[in-house]
Amino acid sequence: MSIKKENIRNFCIVAHIDHGKSTLADRLMEKTGQVSERDMEEQLLDSMDLERERGITIKLTPVRMFYKAKNGEEYIFNLIDTPGHVDFTYEVSRSLKACEGAILIVDATQGVQAQTLANAYLAIDNDLEIMPVINKIDLASARPDEIAQEVEDILGVEAMTAPRISAKTGLNVEDVLEKVITAIPAPKGDDNAPLKALIFDSYYDNFKGVICFVRIMDGTVKVGTKIRTFMSDKQFDVTEVGVFSPKMQPKDSLTAGEVGYIAASIKSIEDTAVGDTITTVENPAPEPLAGYKKALPMVFSGVFPLDGSKFNDLKDALLKLKLNDAALSIEPDNSAALGFGFRCGFLGLLHMDVIQERIEREFDLQIITTAPSVSYKVYKTDGTQMVIENPTHLPPVTEIDYMEEPIIKASILTPPDFVGPIMELCQYKRGVYKDMVYLDKRRVELKYDLPLNEIIYDFFDSLKSRTKGYASFDYEVSGYQKSDLVKLDMLLNGDVCDALSIIVHKDKAYERGRQIAEKLKDVIPRQMFEIPIQAAVGGKIIARETVKAFRKDVLAKCYGGDVTRKKKLLEKQKEGKKKMRSIGTVEIPSEAFISILKTDSDK
Amino acid sequence: MSGIYVHVPFCKQKCTYCDFASYPREIGKAESYFACLYREIEGRSKQYPGRVIDTIYVGGGTPSVVPAKFIAGAIRQIKKCFHVRETAEITIELNPGTVDAEKIKEYKSVGINRFSIGLQTGYDDQLKKLNRIHTAKDFLECCNLLKGENISADVLIGLAGQNLEQVKKTVDLALAGGVSHISVYALTPEVGTPIYTDYLNGELLSDDEVADIYDGIRTYLKEKGFDRYEVSNFAKSGYRSRHNQNYWQRGEYIGVGVSASSFMENRRFTNTFKIDEYINAVIYNKTPEISSEIIEDKDARFEFIMLALRTTDGLNVKEYEHLFKSNFKDEYKAQLSKKAQFLEFDGDTLKIKDEYLYVQNDIILSFMKE
Repeated sequence: MSIKKENIRNFCIVAHIDHGKSTLADRLMEKTGQVSERDMEEQLLDSMDLERERGITIKLTPVRMFYKAKNGEEYIFNLIDTPGHVDFTYEVSRSLKACEGAILIVDATQGVQAQTLANAYLAIDNDLEIMPVINKIDLASARPDEIAQEVEDILGVEAMTAPRISAKTGLNVEDVLEKVITAIPAPKGDDNAPLKALIFDSYYDNFKGVICFVRIMDGTVKVGTKIRTFMSDKQFDVTEVGVFSPKMQPKDSLTAGEVGYIAASIKSIEDTAVGDTITTVENPAPEPLAGYKKALPMVFSGVFPLDGSKFNDLKDALLKLKLNDAALSIEPDNSAALGFGFRCGFLGLLHMDVIQERIEREFDLQIITTAPSVSYKVYKTDGTQMVIENPTHLPPVTEIDYMEEPIIKASILTPPDFVGPIMELCQYKRGVYKDMVYLDKRRVELKYDLPLNEIIYDFFDSLKSRTKGYASFDYEVSGYQKSDLVKLDMLLNGDVCDALSIIVHKDKAYERGRQIAEKLKDVIPRQMFEIPIQAAVGGKIIARETVKAFRKDVLAKCYGGDVTRKKKLLEKQKEGKKKMRSIGTVEIPSEAFISILKTDSDK
Repeated sequence: MSGIYVHVPFCKQKCTYCDFASYPREIGKAESYFACLYREIEGRSKQYPGRVIDTIYVGGGTPSVVPAKFIAGAIRQIKKCFHVRETAEITIELNPGTVDAEKIKEYKSVGINRFSIGLQTGYDDQLKKLNRIHTAKDFLECCNLLKGENISADVLIGLAGQNLEQVKKTVDLALAGGVSHISVYALTPEVGTPIYTDYLNGELLSDDEVADIYDGIRTYLKEKGFDRYEVSNFAKSGYRSRHNQNYWQRGEYIGVGVSASSFMENRRFTNTFKIDEYINAVIYNKTPEISSEIIEDKDARFEFIMLALRTTDGLNVKEYEHLFKSNFKDEYKAQLSKKAQFLEFDGDTLKIKDEYLYVQNDIILSFMKE
């Protein structure tokens, strides 16, 4: 079936978390007959399998839908899904580049939230048409008129004619489909111009090689076309092109305006970086499309296998994850305490959590993650400068002239009642107050400059607990700032455990040292001997706790009828020990390394 | 060495910490139970012919609650079906308040020569709280009936509110009763027992408090001439329990009756915990066993170590090497070096150092192979 370019719509859906993005996506697929209601579950199950087999996040898979509009015309809708969290701004931006418009879902009960704003601005920055949709109007507390007004006031986007729907019940979902036709422009582009195809995602398929998810901006690509990438400057022969419906469906060609995939027996994912442009060898485009703002990892953490012999498995897992996650950075690392592992860079804490969980779930590997760090700029007395992502690499104090730490611009949306507690928190986190805006009676936007280093500790949790979960938070990194930082070391049984070292502000070193020592005392189980836990800055001990030696670790009775049962008890005890890592003579549970973050520091 | 264990699953009332197979309300089934028990003894003797028996132990429950003739019958049956050595140690468990001179006379008439009394504590309020049926005075009366016999007493540590002084007084009471053997057990709150609730509510002593009492009472018993020969067992010279030592040496034993476990020809098996099921099985010539496992070589090695290191005699390296055809020090080179500071070699025996016997799990675990 051939469809005019004017009848193609490429769009994505953006929303604050839990405002109903996935539900609406499901509903759109259902209404366009992409999946029948009956098959819905099956479809999702298939996807899950696929996700597991290939290690990709299906959520980023674009879906091609056919829609017969009320005007009698047939349309192709390409829906490109996006992740919703602030950590994944980069992922969002790469999806946006492939679209002409974005459906902005706003919850009719909650209104505009932090990520509604962040994602909407991102879409506007990418020249996308914003099409607001008011969701959850079936709820008793829905305030669609007020919310529509709010969207207009805050975002300056026309919202009075926005479809008011319930994605959950399916109410008015057709309005969304109709509105897409009028609100979102058709793609431009020339089928006969030199090929410019934007890679917005990719994954590795065992049979076909790397599959590139592309948006064709100009030109045509078909099987047999000799293609070339701009950044990596490699050449390949196209073996297959096609679209997503939502499974991959081969086609003869892809032309300007279309969204689909290209396979070209590409062996390495590195050759087809997300954001790169594909063109043809014979008639190349003079310059590539504007790529994305490259996402820089902001949070760094050591990732080590719990079982040291699984280093290669961990390496494979990380490389596989990196195939689909350009924002993840990996570098080999070596810790005296934990052996060989990797220093990984993440977009934020959620990203770190996701990767950690995927390693454990999808690759069945148990890992130890060390306390996250940010990257610091170190200006040395000899005039050189270095960037430190791992506290262990910090040069001796005598060689440091001064240091700089990354600063973020934070925006916190909160009901007015919580302004006081939040200001207190931000101040405690070394924040600098910038601005306070009353958005309406119910919401205040607070703006602060905060050191990123303070955010990666328990900022989210503290914010949530102080505002009963009502506040939402968004940030962007704004630059570096000179700061009085020191390295805080933890000593176990007299030896520095490098995996526990962190960089902190000098004024906080004593307090954090004490908190971490206390926390370690709680998480390290008693052992055969007494274990002193010390916190030290520059060789000076600033805090000490002791894990006492255990006194009783014995089976009281063991007679004829007990042997098997007691043996099982010991086996269980042994299993527990496997989750521990020996640091010198001390055995430490793997969660100890990350638990030092959660010190309830503002109590 | 070979032993036979006889289980008597009856008692007057359940103690709050008890999770053994013992059923106070089913005492009416005693007669048919013992009839079946005799049949099982005969059956086991045919299954394992030619065994020479060194020790017999009648435990429970409270074996002394049933008529003495049932017990005597069991011992006679064992002697009839197996070759029981003249010098065999034959122990019965008793609870104060359930015995009289007649019973003891009948026990002795069949060769029972060792009496293990459940004292637990010398404090009546604590006894009552444990739902024991006797008082401290009953204990002394019981001992009086057994004057001149080989008596052992069980003592519990870790009771709510208990202190070292009280345990010392309890030991004094046992000594006054003329015991030559004392077992000191740390109260272990098992799931499903009433005392588990106390444990959940934090009413029992902490591990550190129990360890303090244990260390204190160990010193005290030493002063009184009782040497520790296993984690929980103390005896005057010449009065160690042979029956229990057989377990720690991984000798063979046959357990008869409800819930009894056996270890024969490298197979460990356990009878049903239900009296009716047991009676039915025996009547219909079916096995009363509900579980059975052949102990693999790897497990056998670990069991040998785990059991031997509970004792102060320790592990006999030559015996291990003979049994498992290996060089002990080579086989456990890494473990021995890692745990060296807690272990000592004395000629051909390996022992856990005295001060670490009560924290032995961690040491023993290191000998467990993947």
